[in-house]
Amino acid sequence: MAEILSMLRTSKRKGRLLEIVVMAVTVALVAAFSIAVDGFATPGNLEIILSNSASLVILGCGMAVVIISRGLDLSLIAVMVAGATTFSIFINADIPVVTALVLTVAAMAMVGLANAWLIAYVEIPAMLATLASAMAVTGFFRFAILRGEFLLLLSKDNPAVIFLSGDIVPGLPTPVALMVAALIVTWVLLRGTAAGRTIYAMGDNFQAARLTGLPVRTTTIVVYVFAAMMALCAGLVTSAASGAVDFRTVTNGTLLFEVVLVVVLGGIPLRGGRGGVWNIVIGVALIAVLRNGMTLMNFTSQTQDVLKGLVLMVAIVADNYLNPRDTETDAVGDL
Amino acid sequence: MVIKLGNKIRSAAHGLMIGAGVLLASGTQASADTDISGKKVVFVPIAMGISLTEGWARRMREHADMHGYTIDVRDAAFNTGAMAELLAKAISEKPDVLVVHNPTVQLLARQIKQAESEGIKVLQINLQSNQPSAAFVGANWERIGREIAEDIVKECGEGSGKSGKVSIVPGQLTAADSVIMNEAAFKVFEAHKEIEVVSNQASDWEPEKARQITATVLQQHPDLCAVFGHWDVHTMGAGNAVKDAGLADSVLVYATGGGDDVACKAVEDNVLDRVWSYDADGQGRDAGTMVDLLLQGASGADGAMMSVESPMKIIKGGDAYDPGLCWKM
Repeated sequence: MAEILSMLRTSKRKGRLLEIVVMAVTVALVAAFSIAVDGFATPGNLEIILSNSASLVILGCGMAVVIISRGLDLSLIAVMVAGATTFSIFINADIPVVTALVLTVAAMAMVGLANAWLIAYVEIPAMLATLASAMAVTGFFRFAILRGEFLLLLSKDNPAVIFLSGDIVPGLPTPVALMVAALIVTWVLLRGTAAGRTIYAMGDNFQAARLTGLPVRTTTIVVYVFAAMMALCAGLVTSAASGAVDFRTVTNGTLLFEVVLVVVLGGIPLRGGRGGVWNIVIGVALIAVLRNGMTLMNFTSQTQDVLKGLVLMVAIVADNYLNPRDTETDAVGDL
Repeated sequence: MVIKLGNKIRSAAHGLMIGAGVLLASGTQASADTDISGKKVVFVPIAMGISLTEGWARRMREHADMHGYTIDVRDAAFNTGAMAELLAKAISEKPDVLVVHNPTVQLLARQIKQAESEGIKVLQINLQSNQPSAAFVGANWERIGREIAEDIVKECGEGSGKSGKVSIVPGQLTAADSVIMNEAAFKVFEAHKEIEVVSNQASDWEPEKARQITATVLQQHPDLCAVFGHWDVHTMGAGNAVKDAGLADSVLVYATGGGDDVACKAVEDNVLDRVWSYDADGQGRDAGTMVDLLLQGASGADGAMMSVESPMKIIKGGDAYDPGLCWKM
């Protein structure tokens, strides 16, 4: 056994061991739930798993790109809710959907730009800059826009809401289509563009990337504006589905941790430079299957939180054991 | 004879009117004489920005303005840690009355005890702590849980031809209202073995979580008969899941709430079917009156907790729907 582990640890795929472990656990859970839980292994339930995971995957795309560039975006959920609020206010005021969308995209891009400016030009650590912007955005929207309200209710009769929560083509819900689109766009950004290669270079060794003349500042702008756009997309999907924009999603904080959880669990290290779209899918798959199975088994939300926390701890310990610190990781440090 | 009798009745009526006028005048005088102006009241809600607490604050402020005392609102913004700190600060300021909206039965119990021991009268509003205090104004959660459960039994139980399957969506399993309503509902369901609670998972008061839970439960139990949500706001997420699944005609969605116009809109839109409203506007008026009495030195017999139970309004969809049962901010 020790020899096998040693072989695995020295293999070329050692950096991908965590995702293999997570995939194996997901497959085992799917098998166990299929046997033990009535109603789990059905096409309808697969559709529910996909629909319920859509916003998490889209947020995961934004966070993954940021983390790969060795950043962190703690304003992601605030931007998600602020974007949904802006769009909802516009459509409730009978502004045409396209105009509302363009204005909302512009507003949220400004938040992403502000984050990037603080990080790339003022050189404030990403964690602090985005934490501050999360607070500023939440405070501004709650007190200046919503005048102290926590909730904004949306009419399910609104055409934009019907489109976002319905089927884009028969049998394909719009949230699932947007989730797939987000994954494709993220893949293209990371693998098919110069900015994507710079993002990996920044995550691998930021100083070296800067010294070799890579445009790290403009790439930081791309990264945080992209994250803001993903957050907006997730916000539109979530608010249309539940018929409400709820600022407690920001203040509760659990969704932000869940996004970081799926990214790390999928095998994207917080030190950046590694990972891709596949890792987001793996991370979300485990959490989505676990959550769905536990809901079908009527576990309380507290029990679900405990089990999710345990899964994260096991993943981190496994990652630490399978990918021990070496000269490279010690030199660059962790977040 | 008849004319004389009519004159006597008219004289008696005039006499009564004059008497009532004198009484009213003296009542007004008594009210103006009450020495509660300049007193201080602090209200610590779980969060402002929701119709429930905004409705209470509005009515309590009216009472404060009328009698010349002050009422400060300290918004905990759904942050229980901040709420305990705000309460500690409020106690240190030694107000005459403290109005507390408990997020759980235990969280603020020690601070309520401390405030009372320091001579500050504590009025608990709508959600009661384990710790008794000077007064409570709010809904009778046991009654709401029992009545909704009985209605579910009537609609889904024996002879209804339905599956008897029920999904409960509490806010938090430790919140006072959720604890009491669940206890009362399960007591009713236990006596009706045909009722099966297939899910009892808290949504943390969030509509999106309630939606996701309900969508998953409906997948497993498409023959679900009823959803019992513990607050209309998060239950709207559950109601939307029912509507999106195309089951709005077969699944009854029950909720409780403050009964503002948003609840009526949800009933009109078929997102909610039946709402047990405790009328937050009326509760605000009751709370204002109770604060007036506490400031005047009122107390329960032998120091017992004074209690005012909020009357219920039941908002039902369909032919029985009455938008007049809801209030508007």
